[in-house]
Amino acid sequence: MKKLALAVSLALATTGVALAQEKTIKIAGFGAKTGPVRSFGVNSEAAMLAAADVINKQGGVRLADGSKAKMVVEFYDDRCTAEEGISIIRRVHGTDALVAVGPTCSNVAEPLYGILQKKADDKSDSGLQMPIFTDVAVKGGLAKISEWAFRNVPSEMTMYSSLFYWLKSKYPNAQTIYGGVEEDFAHSRASWYAVMKDRAEANGYKVLGNSKWLLADSNFATQVREMKNANADIVAIAAHPFTTCGVLKEMQRQGVKPKVLIGLTSSSSMETMQGCAKQAEGMIIPTSFAPVTKDGKFAAETTAKFKGSADLHSMAAWENMFILKDVIESEKVAGTKGELQADRRKIRDGLAKLKETKGLLGVTKRTDDREADKPYLFVHAAKGEWKVLHNPL
Amino acid sequence: MLDFLQAVSDGMLFGATYALIGIGFTLVFGVMHKLNLSYAAASIGAAYSGLLILKVFAAAPAWAVFLSAFVGGGVIGYLVYLTCFHFIPLSNPLAPLMSTVGMFLLIDEVIVHATNGMPQNYPAMFDDVMIRAGGYTLRGDLLLVFGLSVLCMIGLLALLYRTKLGLATRAVSQQPVAAQLCGIRVARVNAMTFVVTGLVGGIAGAMMGAAVGALSPVLTAPLTVKGLIVTVIGGLGSIPGAIIAGLLVGGLENVFQLYRGVTERDLYVMLLLFVFLVFRPGGIFTAKSGRD
Amino acid sequence: MEFYYGLAQIVGVHTLLGLSAYIVLLTGQVTMAQAAFFGIGAYVAGMLTVLAGWHIVPALGASAVMGSATACAVGFPALRVKGLMLVVATLAFGEGVRLFFFNFDYQIARGDLKLGPVGSEGFRQIRYFPEHGWTTGEVMLFIWVFVVLVMAVLWWFDRSRYGSVLRAVGEDELAAQSVGINLTAVKVSAMTIGGAIAGLGGGIFAHYTTHIEHSNFNVLVATFAIAYPIVGGLSNVFGTLAAVIFVQAFLIEGLRDLGDWRNLLFGALIVLAMNLRPHGLFGKRRGSSHA
Repeated sequence: MKKLALAVSLALATTGVALAQEKTIKIAGFGAKTGPVRSFGVNSEAAMLAAADVINKQGGVRLADGSKAKMVVEFYDDRCTAEEGISIIRRVHGTDALVAVGPTCSNVAEPLYGILQKKADDKSDSGLQMPIFTDVAVKGGLAKISEWAFRNVPSEMTMYSSLFYWLKSKYPNAQTIYGGVEEDFAHSRASWYAVMKDRAEANGYKVLGNSKWLLADSNFATQVREMKNANADIVAIAAHPFTTCGVLKEMQRQGVKPKVLIGLTSSSSMETMQGCAKQAEGMIIPTSFAPVTKDGKFAAETTAKFKGSADLHSMAAWENMFILKDVIESEKVAGTKGELQADRRKIRDGLAKLKETKGLLGVTKRTDDREADKPYLFVHAAKGEWKVLHNPL
Repeated sequence: MLDFLQAVSDGMLFGATYALIGIGFTLVFGVMHKLNLSYAAASIGAAYSGLLILKVFAAAPAWAVFLSAFVGGGVIGYLVYLTCFHFIPLSNPLAPLMSTVGMFLLIDEVIVHATNGMPQNYPAMFDDVMIRAGGYTLRGDLLLVFGLSVLCMIGLLALLYRTKLGLATRAVSQQPVAAQLCGIRVARVNAMTFVVTGLVGGIAGAMMGAAVGALSPVLTAPLTVKGLIVTVIGGLGSIPGAIIAGLLVGGLENVFQLYRGVTERDLYVMLLLFVFLVFRPGGIFTAKSGRD
Repeated sequence: MEFYYGLAQIVGVHTLLGLSAYIVLLTGQVTMAQAAFFGIGAYVAGMLTVLAGWHIVPALGASAVMGSATACAVGFPALRVKGLMLVVATLAFGEGVRLFFFNFDYQIARGDLKLGPVGSEGFRQIRYFPEHGWTTGEVMLFIWVFVVLVMAVLWWFDRSRYGSVLRAVGEDELAAQSVGINLTAVKVSAMTIGGAIAGLGGGIFAHYTTHIEHSNFNVLVATFAIAYPIVGGLSNVFGTLAAVIFVQAFLIEGLRDLGDWRNLLFGALIVLAMNLRPHGLFGKRRGSSHA
């Protein structure tokens, strides 16, 4: 009798194990884990893994047939090169990944979107049919290249517009502005000419001019001298952390102390603090993330467990994972091999339908051209950290 | 006029770092008739290695960082020699070249992995000292960079012309076979050449970091290009040539930037190189004849 | 399958880049200018299909012609310099071309869209292939027709007198000159042919990435161009192909599973390869090392 009981329970146990075999769905992630932008890829990967971990601990994602599946993240390094990014997406297309989150670099995003099918129903277009939900690449207006491309990045236009408006009331004595631009980096360049300069003028500031340098430059004496001569109340630096630090140090040497110092959104990260915390003191940057809400703090802590730091870029990846969970559930994704392409189409359609999503700072609106209108706040560098200066929410 | 003088002096002081890199390239070329494309990357790598001392003594002064960069440079130089020049038969010119490219990529990657690609704060000495004369300023820390570079060059020239090692090095560079017949161990001389250029490179990298205030992996490629241009303008194998060419390129680069802006600056540096190649292909100090 | 077709596309284009350096290396000239001709071909072909509405084949023909014309123009002054100085001179030329494209603006309005290269932002929306419904497999075959053609031509050169003349100049210029070989004609012709191949490769590159900018044609690309024939060995064209497969298929894609280690291994394996096989994967041409 005992033997029979043992046998029966063993049999039940093994079938139980077979039945409990986990269903998984795969989300691909990709970004730059090589070169000066390595920290971005590392942080995005950590955020994606952290988010998946939380989702899985809460039971996973509900599929069309009512069962629950665990989210699996597979992250690829595209080395910030277009060819590799394209190769990765083709590789991902051949796996069972439902959607890809990435890339880091705008110079990868642009060619990548270019090989996607432009319009989702155009049968004559042989472009790739794979939904891409971008977390970091922030160069303006890219998502409209393809109906399979979606982005969750902040709108610099909106943020800087609001910043200048706010500065007007906070620093009424400041009337003039001077810019510093990294000319050979498309993102920085566009941010000064098309965004900062434009929005400053729109808010009544007089633009006295701008100095230029290249992203690998090491000598900023001439540029800072021009800045000193202009003697503007506000100095805006549209450059990435390395040259920003070089310029700030030169400004300190030459005694250039503007009333207000503004920086580029993507420089509101650990990189600037690593390079020149002292000289960056007081720099104001508008950003779409700071750990001020309960959700934000939780996201930052969890990502830290996976060895990533939380900033506006990696937290967009975190948000993307939860948005995708919601879309997968609402669009009734099947999660089976046979339905793979249909599932990808469902995710695309689901993302396109969204009018708003839940962000870590609040509700994010989605625009018609597949971009995001994210809530933002202003941070400033204080004692080696980015602290919230003003929260317009 | 003041702007022009200021641009020239700023540029020349900075050009001392280019001169050091140029010396490294030219010395290796002069002795072994080979190009070490990893040199600039190794110099920046040595500068990074200088920061390691801050991990042990967080309050170490700037000169301690420079010193460890100096030592680190020598170590990396020897490593480059071992991996690219020691085992590969010297009769094959292309293989060592490609090997140094591999080392360049490797050093770059090691830097990126160690720092996650983030810029690293670099200490400087006298960076708050600004010597003013009317509207004209001289950066105190750049004067130090210039001074240290000059010391380095003097030290190197003394090594080459006053020591036995220097004599052996010059012998190997002129007639390697005859030198070997005289009992000079060519492999040892070559290795020492790399160690010495590595030491010089360590100083160059540290000075570059100190002058900018931060180190980043983006520095390696442009520094390689500039270093090579300086080497060619100065004359292959000529140390005084590299020195003068470094200062020349540094100063002129700033002047081009002043008058034509930053987007066209590098085009003019290229044009400068072409002018030299057309009118004085041997460089400022043409190498002594008797070599290829 | 998409992935393998895409990889084959990349291998094809990089083989063209490598072969453009191969023929110049045969004459003993180490050229860092191939990325420049590649870039010129890319912009020319892109502008012809996007702005002028040309069919891809004549556009590629034009890019090859522009590549060869520029290379010919570079070939003559390049004769004046040798060895390391040629490396630096061609490097500087390459950077000069890249800086030209950095500053190059040429836009045409089509409806409410502006098309064409915009300086540092690059040249976007070169979508000839997807717009005309070419599948990844079809593009791959298209590219490989050109690659096979170029390889066949170079293989035939190697078997003909021209190939021997090229290698003779590469081995010993003085001896070649003393048997009556016209050094100028040989070196410039090699440079010109290399330019044509690079221009062709660049034209294809622009179309399969759909977006090009100045940084796609930098020193690193120029270095890879000579790396392929050096790592593969100069004895025949298959060496270059093997090296491209080694780098692109094995090192870049194959080692992906090693995660972070892949990038560290990249440089290390090149160093190892050069130490173990200094004459390249396919070794030295038999008979050429005899006195």
